[in-house]
Amino acid sequence: MKTLRAHPLHLFAGPLLWAIWYVVLYSGQALGCETAPPPANAGVWTWLNGLLLLHTLVFAVVLLYLTWLAHRSTPAESGNGRFILKVSTGVYLVATIAVLAIGLQSVIYPPCV
Amino acid sequence: MTEQEALHQRFNKVWRNLPGWGTLAAVNHTSVGRRFMLTGAIFFLIGGLLALLIRMQLALPGQEFLNPDVYSQVFTMHGTVMMFLFAIPILEGAAIYLIPKMIGARDLIFPRLGALGYYCYLFGGIIVISSLLLGMAPSSGWFMYTPLSSTEFSPGPGSDFWLLGITFVEISSVSAGIELVVAILRSRTPGMTLSKMPIFCWYILVTALMIVFGFPPLILASILLELERAAGMPFFDVAAGGDPVLWQHLFWLFGHPEVYIIFLPAAGIVSTILPVFTGRPLVGYRWVVMAVILTGFISFGLWAHHMFTVGIPQLAQAFFSMASMLVAIPTAIQVFAWLATLWAGRVVYSLPMLWVFGFLFVFVLGGLTGVMLAMVPFNWQVHDTHFVVAHLHYVLVGGMLFPLIGGLYYWLPHFSGRMPSERLGRWGFGLVFVGFNATFFLMHLTGLLGMPRRVDTYETGFGWDWLNMLSSVGSFVIAMGVAIIIIDVLLHFRFGRKAGNNPWNADTLEWTTGTPPTMYNFASLPEINSRHPLWDNPELLQSIPAGEHGLTQIEHGRRETFGTDAITGKLKEVMLLPTNSWLPLLVASSLAVVCISLLTRSYLAAVVITIVAAIFLFRWSWENGGHPLAAPLGDKEPVEAPLQSRTLDGSGLWGMVITLLADGALFLALLFGWLYLWAVAPNWTLPDESLVSLPVMAWSGAFLTFATWWYCRAVKQLKAGDDTGLQTRFWVVTAAGAIHLVLLVGVTLVSPLAITELAHDAVLLVMLMFLIFHSSISVIATALQALRVRYGYVSKELPYEPVVLQPLWLFSLATFWCSVASFLLLPIAWGAA
Repeated sequence: MKTLRAHPLHLFAGPLLWAIWYVVLYSGQALGCETAPPPANAGVWTWLNGLLLLHTLVFAVVLLYLTWLAHRSTPAESGNGRFILKVSTGVYLVATIAVLAIGLQSVIYPPCV
Repeated sequence: MTEQEALHQRFNKVWRNLPGWGTLAAVNHTSVGRRFMLTGAIFFLIGGLLALLIRMQLALPGQEFLNPDVYSQVFTMHGTVMMFLFAIPILEGAAIYLIPKMIGARDLIFPRLGALGYYCYLFGGIIVISSLLLGMAPSSGWFMYTPLSSTEFSPGPGSDFWLLGITFVEISSVSAGIELVVAILRSRTPGMTLSKMPIFCWYILVTALMIVFGFPPLILASILLELERAAGMPFFDVAAGGDPVLWQHLFWLFGHPEVYIIFLPAAGIVSTILPVFTGRPLVGYRWVVMAVILTGFISFGLWAHHMFTVGIPQLAQAFFSMASMLVAIPTAIQVFAWLATLWAGRVVYSLPMLWVFGFLFVFVLGGLTGVMLAMVPFNWQVHDTHFVVAHLHYVLVGGMLFPLIGGLYYWLPHFSGRMPSERLGRWGFGLVFVGFNATFFLMHLTGLLGMPRRVDTYETGFGWDWLNMLSSVGSFVIAMGVAIIIIDVLLHFRFGRKAGNNPWNADTLEWTTGTPPTMYNFASLPEINSRHPLWDNPELLQSIPAGEHGLTQIEHGRRETFGTDAITGKLKEVMLLPTNSWLPLLVASSLAVVCISLLTRSYLAAVVITIVAAIFLFRWSWENGGHPLAAPLGDKEPVEAPLQSRTLDGSGLWGMVITLLADGALFLALLFGWLYLWAVAPNWTLPDESLVSLPVMAWSGAFLTFATWWYCRAVKQLKAGDDTGLQTRFWVVTAAGAIHLVLLVGVTLVSPLAITELAHDAVLLVMLMFLIFHSSISVIATALQALRVRYGYVSKELPYEPVVLQPLWLFSLATFWCSVASFLLLPIAWGAA
């Protein structure tokens, strides 16, 4: 059974993944609109929205998996290790929520209007 | 004389400041922290006086008390002083003062860096304030939007004062950030694992990392704007391929995290005070740690909510709007943890707690209007109105000033050994609380009624008159409250009753350092196995000063503290801490002259003094490790653990890595600027072929690659315990690095860059200067290492320094090839496609 080692990197890995996802999301949207903007009347079902949504779902799945791994690995640890994994579980979970809450905007708004 | 007094005298002899003017050479964190806080308090009073001038002007419609130009200078300086010269430095000062005492260390790890930071702050602040006295203060608002702050619309030196002075101050912020991160991670007393750190340390750790990543974009933006103003390099000029909105992105990439950089330490104060006055541990320590980490990250994803009206597409606005709402989650976690602690404990309504209650009330209101402002349609409606001014004051004054004054009253007995007056303190709180809400709650209404911010006057008849009058009255009530607090603090030094060692029955280690504290903090360094050491082991109050714990040797005359593992808190080494030194003052003074030379456009003088500053800095680096003034081999080595200059993983390596993170953030901001202008600026033009010779860059890169590889090999050999031929290896690296540098400088000089006509070429020059700067430091530092091997300061017994320098070579190499790929090859590839 795969488990996580109680490394302090996990305290920051969730938000770090969120940050990378966010930079790619924002810059991808901006570059997409600069280079090949979908027509304004196309609504939300455009290639750009689809790409942003796919990007969001990939990161959300990865973060959710890490949340589950961290949660599952916690009982095996004690003391400092337990502390690190418990905090990391929460951090991964909120990072997942943040990815979904922000990224799902791409099914509501057209990309370049 | 008792044994304890004798021990104190021996420690004091090593740790005390020099007498008289010599105190300016003090580097220990207690002195530096106090100076930061005192200077910050003075700037607060200056900023407050400016605020009163603003309110006097706006008290009645049609006032001519201040003319429009002076009014613009006053509101710009009010914001600038409060944000850059008061809020951040005073909190950094508090952290510098408290962190070593809380983690059981005798000093911060880089004391001279702290002293340098203080003098940079002081001199930078004086330069900025002097513009006001000279009547040429900046007048474009504290966020200095281009093109208003550019030469065309601000032709005087006001913007230059801001850009140069504030950049100078930011050196101080970043240096404090670096030393706080390393101190918290590497100098906790043995046994203090991450999970047993005082909660305040978590707040400061995250804040310091935010400073490390958040300030470089503004430093870069300031450099670019100053280059535009002084040398005509058109980064923000649309006609030449620049874009003024780039400034807004770079500024708010710093500016929004800054709000949390200010809030988090203050929230840390609240999380420290609350358990003491409720008599129980903080509810949800783990939840609060999680919330602090999340706040640190998410706050970097909100910057564009300051730019909702500049024409960003709806989808992007929705991203930032949602992120702005999300940041309320970790903030709310903290608020609920505080409320739960209050609920579960037995509250003692002492003075510090009054300010905590005031904080909770005001900050929650500010947070709620923050969520309102995160909504794009509402944001559009109230953009640039007094509603925004009210919101930011509720967040910043509520979120920072209230906890800060609560912290002042809490730690006042620690500073002075005496207690404040409860009666005067309550009057001070009451007046500030009532005055604050009178001033700023009404400002929400003024804003909703449409009054724009930053107007110097207004006509009667809009319904703003009585609101403005009451706001102005409120501001003077705040001033009365602040005056009473100042009187209370001043009087308590003489009339306050003696505090004793731990007057509030606090749980953290700073209360064992004495009230007022000794210069060395702890005569002995204890093993800590609890999150609340003084509650679980109250006899530490006696046993630490009695020298019953570790590292009590002082006969060698060195300043030392324990170095421990970043995670487990296990003892790893003994860290040597520098003693009093004039070098920080000399370096900061030189940099201040450079700053003034640039202001007066005396560029030759600026170059000469920069070289002088560099000489001081390299001299600074010389007195380390095995140098006779530091810790030469065989000089009474400590018994508990080796001195860190005899190890491979000392604090210097950590300091270098954290510094390079800041450096990397600046490089990424430059890369962002390049890509942003390329993608967005309407007149951006790419040349058909590279203006910088690619073959020469390739040769330069080849030499850099060889130098880095050879350096890494030398370090690997040293780590394996072999120092044969080390000096020769370092000279070879120096020579290869020098050839790389000569080629790089040469290609920069001969490239036909039209730096005053095209933003593209101007950015290329900045990129080349960035590479030259880093390669120069790498080469000179390696040459010094070679010399140090020759003098016997570096060897297999003293392997510390080459290991510290290795990341710099790797960074120089990485940024070089990344620059070649992004700035030179990518445009060619794009053009071909």
